[in-house]
Amino acid sequence: MSDEARLRLAFCGLHPDRADRLKRAFGSPAGAVGALASGRVAAPEAVRAAAALPFAACRERLARLGVTPLFRGGAGYPAHLADLPGAPDVLFSKGALPAQPGVAIVGTRRCTRYGTGLARVYGQACAAVGWPVISGLARGADAEAHRGVVDAGGAGVAVLGCGPDIVYPAEHRPLLESLLAGGGGMVTEYPPGARPEPWRFPPRNRIIAGLAGAVVVVEAGETGGALITAAAALEQGRHVFAVPGDVGRATSRGCNLLIRDGATPVLDPADLVASLSLLLGPGRAPAPSGPAPPVEGPGRALLAALPPGGAALEEAATAAGLGVAEAMAALARLEVAGLVRRDGGLVLPGR
Amino acid sequence: MFAAVTSVALVGIDPCPVRVEVHVGGGKEAFQLVGLPDTAVREAKERVRAALLSSGYRFPYRRLTVNLAPAEIPKAGSAYDLPIALAVLAASGMVPAAVTGVVALGELALDGAVRPARGGLGAGIVAAAAGFPCLLPPGSAEEAAVVSRAEVRVVRTLAEAVAAALGETAPSPPSPPPETASGASVDLAWVRGQALARRALEVAAAGGHHLLMMGPPGAGKTMLARCLPGMLPALTSAESLEVACAWAAAGRPRPIPSEPPFRSPHHTATPAAIVGGGSGVPVPGELTLAHRGVLFLDELGEFPPYLLDALRQPIEEGWVHIARKGIAVRFPCDVQVAAAANPCPCGYAGDRLVACTCPPAGVARYRRRFSGPLLDRFDLQVAVPRLDPADLCGPEGEPSAAVRSRVAVARRLQAERGALNRSLSRRDLDALQWRPEATRLLRAAADRLALTARGWDRVRRVARTLADLAGVGAVAEEQVAEALSLRAAG
Ligand SMILES: [Zn+2]
Repeated sequence: MSDEARLRLAFCGLHPDRADRLKRAFGSPAGAVGALASGRVAAPEAVRAAAALPFAACRERLARLGVTPLFRGGAGYPAHLADLPGAPDVLFSKGALPAQPGVAIVGTRRCTRYGTGLARVYGQACAAVGWPVISGLARGADAEAHRGVVDAGGAGVAVLGCGPDIVYPAEHRPLLESLLAGGGGMVTEYPPGARPEPWRFPPRNRIIAGLAGAVVVVEAGETGGALITAAAALEQGRHVFAVPGDVGRATSRGCNLLIRDGATPVLDPADLVASLSLLLGPGRAPAPSGPAPPVEGPGRALLAALPPGGAALEEAATAAGLGVAEAMAALARLEVAGLVRRDGGLVLPGR
Repeated sequence: MFAAVTSVALVGIDPCPVRVEVHVGGGKEAFQLVGLPDTAVREAKERVRAALLSSGYRFPYRRLTVNLAPAEIPKAGSAYDLPIALAVLAASGMVPAAVTGVVALGELALDGAVRPARGGLGAGIVAAAAGFPCLLPPGSAEEAAVVSRAEVRVVRTLAEAVAAALGETAPSPPSPPPETASGASVDLAWVRGQALARRALEVAAAGGHHLLMMGPPGAGKTMLARCLPGMLPALTSAESLEVACAWAAAGRPRPIPSEPPFRSPHHTATPAAIVGGGSGVPVPGELTLAHRGVLFLDELGEFPPYLLDALRQPIEEGWVHIARKGIAVRFPCDVQVAAAANPCPCGYAGDRLVACTCPPAGVARYRRRFSGPLLDRFDLQVAVPRLDPADLCGPEGEPSAAVRSRVAVARRLQAERGALNRSLSRRDLDALQWRPEATRLLRAAADRLALTARGWDRVRRVARTLADLAGVGAVAEEQVAEALSLRAAG
């Protein structure tokens, strides 16, 4: 199979199932591209135009964006993903993709603070051991898992449901940049310019699971991307962990069902790390980063009292044993120092 | 031949004396009414004639000219019947001229009875200023009784009015209005927990700052807002008379309480009901009913943007201007605004236990509603989380009275500087004393937290109030830091 035809087919940005059907029908990626370009199969104008794009033009466009194409079976393409049936022929990547399997941490976009807090703690714990942490850059649990990686100075991988030149949601651009700056990577099977259309996300989840040796679901309802990732992981023979939640809470139901169906319940970060060590082996621990700026007095107490998922200022003040006026003043100093941020009524650690 | 009796008209909410002049001349029988009267005033002729005849007087079938002066004040309603009748009687020599030494107000029934009319409070104020006794029908007299220096005589018929004006019969003193407890106010002692919101309320009360409370349903935002009037300094007697005038102008007689009023208009109310206006003579709206008190906008996100726009200028200036053909009035509205809103459309963003079910784009769109010209005037924003059940059975909080005494001290310091901190302009703020560390923190915050110029001013106003509460002259770093945490989040 030529890299040339595979790359040109990937540039069409089709749903992977459709790309597979065309490859079978026309015998090869080259046949599929030819059929699309000539109009022998019905396709939107944009797809036909992409199919007609010469190989050199594709390479040139990627070079301009600083995106590296990785070919299944070729250099740089993670072997543990390449082995799976249905793995993408071509990945578009930025930064470094780990050669060893990592830990996928996923959850619903509509997380409670319980879920976002856990995602961050588990992201931190796994990154600190040195395992790559893989997630989907979505709002809620995904973003918090990535933030945990950044906190720990570890390597994380964001798997996108759109082209490598698009950040979705856009407000996570700084987060993605921190990930890349910290030695992590970004990967997608969709070509430059592919919009984050809803149908692109379910297939994306098989890549998240495929890059991981184990999947941890922190909070999930009965439907949604996190459960698709868990299902893909089971299909691929990966181990699935789930965090038990309140049985009455809709956003915990998915996790609780996974546990009922045999997923390993996770109780705390140490428990997770212990279980994962058996599956993944030792990781490459990140070099300790420089000392954190010293924080004195009430600020230190407030910071120490802040759970990873954040808290209302009042809760944090009570936990730190501070009066509200004192806590408010301390909060502002921490905020100016970039050690906490506010989101609505919540105070969260980190930027 | 000529007589004049004093009555009253409202200019905005202010009562102004009106001279009801009557001239009885020779010539063809006529009844002419001049001086910007409305239709109800024009119909006075028939009522006055019937009332005079029913009361045993003659009606002078000659040329009667009635002038309501000054001509430029619009006069409305049937309240001038009684003064017209008294002036007609005096001008035609049927009763002694001494009958005109009063301030009178009331509608006449055809049988000579005097009916209540709007403006009793105004009549009392005008009478006290003029040093005249005040003749009012039952139903209007009670309003006037709150004016301490007014001599009020209750009259039920025209004949009684003539007698009372001549001092022939003892006036029946009006019963003082029932002292109703102002039901709006809640004592801060009843609020459990919510230390942050309590602090924000104290700062709002001390500096007169407009306050926005963000929190999920059931967090107690409304109850907290209702605490605000009780934390403000009691109204002076001049202020409470102003409040009573504002309410009277809106047709709502109100006993004079010393507590600042609290009004909570619903977001479905019409602009006229909130701002003032209406058909005919403009009537004050909720803004003016909240004059010298608190205007509470619950569910701020539900108020239509045009309504919030209409509120901005009056709130900034302290006056509502209403102009229409031939009439331009202004109503006072020196109000402190408290507002409450959910943090997102479903209400649960950031909640401890309940997940927010809003699409993120929806939350962003919703939060954009809380920016704009009116919201720019809110110096304070505070998150009000739902309470931990453990807090619900915690100890009682500090009572409003304790906070009110600290607020009074802070307000005295502001009065010495000449302005409430809420109204400090950028130039005023620049002229204040700031400690070097305070300025350093402000600069760093502007840099790191992307404060806008207006945001910077808001933080400085609040910091000044915190310094007043702390009783310090130059604003310190500590106060700037706390003020930063009381600004709009995110
Ligand atoms: Zn919501």
